[in-house]
Parts: sequence; C-alpha cells; structure tokens
Amino acid sequence: MTMGHVTELLSAYLDERVGADERARIVAHLNACESCRAHLESLRRTVVMLHTAEPVRAPEGFRAQVRARIETQPRRAPRALHLPGWIGSWRTAGAAVAVVLIGLFTVNLLREQFPSVALRRDREPQGAVPAPLPPSASVDRAARAPELSAPQAGGFPVPGRVGAPSIPAPYSPGEPALRRVIRTASVMLEVENLNETASRLTRIVEAAGGFIADSSYAQAGSTPEGTFVLRVPAPRFADVLSQVESLGHVQQRRISGQDVTEEYVDLRSRIRNLERYEQRLLALVDRAAKVSDLLEIEQELARVRGEIEMLTGRARYLDRQVDLAMIQVSAREQTTQSGGFWDFSGTLTKIQTAFLLTIRQILRAAEAMVVALSALVPVLALAGIVWLVVRRVRLARGV
Amino acid sequence: MTEGTARVSEEADLIASSVAGDLDAYDRLVGRYQDRVYQVAYRITGNHEDAWDAAQETFLHAFRSLPRFRGASAFSTWVHRIATNAALDMIRRRPPQPPASLEGVTVSTGDDPAEAATRSELQRRIHRAIISLPAEQRVVVVLRDVQGLPYDEIATALRIPPGTVRSRLSRGRESLRQQLADLAPAAGS
Repeated sequence: MTMGHVTELLSAYLDERVGADERARIVAHLNACESCRAHLESLRRTVVMLHTAEPVRAPEGFRAQVRARIETQPRRAPRALHLPGWIGSWRTAGAAVAVVLIGLFTVNLLREQFPSVALRRDREPQGAVPAPLPPSASVDRAARAPELSAPQAGGFPVPGRVGAPSIPAPYSPGEPALRRVIRTASVMLEVENLNETASRLTRIVEAAGGFIADSSYAQAGSTPEGTFVLRVPAPRFADVLSQVESLGHVQQRRISGQDVTEEYVDLRSRIRNLERYEQRLLALVDRAAKVSDLLEIEQELARVRGEIEMLTGRARYLDRQVDLAMIQVSAREQTTQSGGFWDFSGTLTKIQTAFLLTIRQILRAAEAMVVALSALVPVLALAGIVWLVVRRVRLARGV
Repeated sequence: MTEGTARVSEEADLIASSVAGDLDAYDRLVGRYQDRVYQVAYRITGNHEDAWDAAQETFLHAFRSLPRFRGASAFSTWVHRIATNAALDMIRRRPPQPPASLEGVTVSTGDDPAEAATRSELQRRIHRAIISLPAEQRVVVVLRDVQGLPYDEIATALRIPPGTVRSRLSRGRESLRQQLADLAPAAGS
C-alpha cells in the first residue's frame, strides 16, 4: 500500500496505458489513498498544461530555405538512391555471380580446346631450355653460354678454340672419389645443308677422339632429316657439344647426367669381396681330402667366377658409358625457299601464328580478369553483407 | 474518415513524386510538416537557432532518404524520428546551452510571431521545465505531450520498447509536475 508503487503508474494511467490488473490495483489504491489522488490530479494538470503549450510554428522563410538548399544539391539525391537499389537487387547479384561462373567455365573450356593449336606451340621452346643439370654439367653450360649468343651462320668452328679454357673434366679434382657421371645430350638442329653437316660432324667427332656410333637419314616431305649418335670422350663432351651446336640453328637441346658413382662403387666392392672369397676357395682346393668335397668346391668356384665376370662386365660397361659421352644430333634442313619474286609460302603460317597469338593474348587477358574477379568475390560478398546489414540497421532506425 | 484517407493517399502521391525528383511535391510535404518538425526541434534543442538548423537538417535528410522510406511506419512517424535525431545531434554538438540563451530567446520575442510560444510567463516556465529534463525524458515528453503522438508511434520512432516509453514519460512528467507545481493550481483555476 506504499505510495511509490502507484505514483509510477499514474502517468500511464492517465493515458490509459495500463493493463486491466494494474488498473484495478490503481483504482483500488486511489480510492484508499488521499495523497495519491492528489498526486494524480497534480499530474493531470501538468499534462494539460503541456498540451496547452502554445504551438511553435516554423519561422518565415524556413520552407523556402529547405527548398533552396535541396535545389543547390540536386545531384546528390538520385545518386544516393540509385546505387543501393542497383546493388541491393538480389537478381542483379545473382546475375553477376552467374556471369562470373560462366566466364570461368568458358575460359576453362577454351583452355581445354585451344592448347592443341595455340598453347602447345609455346610449350616447345620451353622444353628447349636445358633440363636441370648435374652440378658438373652446369659448368659446361656456363662455358657454352657466350658461344650460343654468337652468330649461328659463322664459319667452320675451330676445334679447341671454343670453350677450350674451361672444359671441365667429368672427374673433378675436388672429388677424388671418382664421381662417375654418364653424360648424354640430344640436340635438334636446323641446318642449311644436311650432307655438309654430316661430314662436319664426322670431322668434329674424330678430332675429339670419338666416333659416330649411329647415323640415319630420312626425307620426310621436302625436308631431309638426319639422326646421328656421337660418342666422344667425356672430357671433350662440352667442347664437342658447343661445336655441334654451332653447325646450325638449335631448336631443342637436352642435356642430362646420370650419376652412377654409387652403383659403380657398389660393383667394385662386390667384385672385391667375391675375389677374396675365390681366393679362400682356391686355398681350400689344395686342402680338400675327399673328391666329393673337391667337386663341391670347384662348383662353387665356377659360380663365383661367373658372378665376378658378370659384375666386372657391368662395371666395364659403366666405365665405357662414363668415358664416352653420348650426343644425339638430329638435324633437319631449313625449309628451302621456293624462290621467285614474291614468296607466299610462309604467309599462311604467319597469318595463323598472328591469329593464334592474338587469341592467346585475349584469352590470357580474360583469364587474368576472371582470376582477379574471383579473387574479389569473397571481398565483394563480405562488402555486400556489410552493406545489407548497414542498410537494414539504417532502415530499422527509420533514417 | 474519407477525408483522412484522401489525405493519406495524397500524401503518398506527394512522397512518390518527391522520390521521382519533383521538388514542388516535396515542397508541399515540407509545408505540411514544417511546423511539427520545427516544434520538435525547438522543444528538444531549446532555442530557435538550433531548432532552425535541426529542422533544416531534418528535411534535407528526409529528402535524401525518401527513396528508402518503405512505408513500414507512417510518414509522420518517420519524419518525427529524423527530427528527433537531428535535434539530439544538435544538442550533442553544442552540449550545454545555459539559461542565458533562453533569456535571449525571450528578449527577441517581440517581432517574430514564431516566438509567440515563449511570450507569456507561463509559456516560458513550461519551456524551461521541458528543457531542464534529461534528453531521453525530454524527447518522450515532447513527442507525447507536446506533439500528441501515441505511445506506439513514439516507440516506433525512437526504436525503444513501449514499456520504456511509458517509464521515461512517467519520470519526465513527474519531474515537470514538481517544477510546475506552483503553476498547476493557477492553470487549473
């Protein structure tokens, strides 16, 4: 029955904003409580007084100024409206996502279709870049580098001049453990005259103390092709290779070195062990008492000898491979000019190349754009969410 | 009833035209609401200078935001919401306006009819009492007892629960009752 409880409700009671229960309680209390009745009356008079507060009117010129200010900045309004509406449309957002996806799909499709014509062409020159070289061979490459940049149509290469000061031995002095590397190279050349190339190759190889292990000749279409397998002493490998490459225009080169040191060492130790075993067996032969024992020992000796021979053979083979590096040369004559005043034979190829090049560039640009766009997608999605939230909040606040 | 409906639909037309960029239509909307907006601004900020700025800001803001007005609430509620915020912003920007400015208002009454509200002693006392209220109570009292908005609209405009409107109003009125206690009998008689 304390006064405080009801006085807090009197304001709402005046406005009839109390529930039925509250109302009943207030009425009951008011009937009993003189002071609360007075309070209610006083509050009612206050509210009435507020209602009678003279209305304040907007001053003269107020409306005109609103209009003037809006007219001085008319551009802001449309911009403020259109942008959110445009982004806010779910249909637009969906369409944008669809476009990006379709773009990705299309580029993917094109990339699957086109490599056979366009993109493969530039893959081949990449293949011509020397494959990763073994440590010793990288020295060769460094030595040969200046030679490669020299004019290709140079005269007959002087043996010994090229790269002579820096020919690396396959057994580098820093590695007394006999690093054994089988070195092979394959070079594809475009030459002016195949026959002359063949004879030059022979001369180069013989000057280096090697030989031509195999050669073949074929004429496919209008361009004669020849394949030569050269074997040269390993120390002359780099030298010979650079001379060979000076014979024509290098289209493809591949150098590899197979390190067989481990296998070689392994072979050697196995042979040594077997030889010791053989020695012991031979010693047993002298002491053998029974014929049956002797036979058995002889049998074992034969087996061990056979194994030694086999391993030695393999070791010798490795030796040969290591000592004689292999250079495989395939040479092709340059497509002969058909001659005449105006030659159109290459025009079609040029057109095709230019066409494909352009398409490739367009595709690359498109790809870059799509990639950039897809990188932006999460950001855009985030921004969109943030914007939606902000808009929701602002709408909710009614501003 | 039909008149009210016609008025609402006419207002809807004015809003639509304003959104489309029709400044005449918006001008008429301004004409319709300028007194109410100005009054809210004046009662909350307490002086004409700030009221003018706040009310101007209200109509500029409303014009820019009009396309986002979805009709979820009545236009009048929406405008009151903006006006209240603009006025509160104004208070926050120039926090304490000491009674000196009130005196200034009183002095400058004579020729400006818009200042008739504070002409009489009674009006001045009422105004001063309202200004003395804490902002959150003042806003509710102004919207309810000066503007005559229903609780629900106040709650919508201020984004507060109706129960909060009720309690703030109760506290504000109680404070006013105590301040104006000596005037009340005179007003009643």
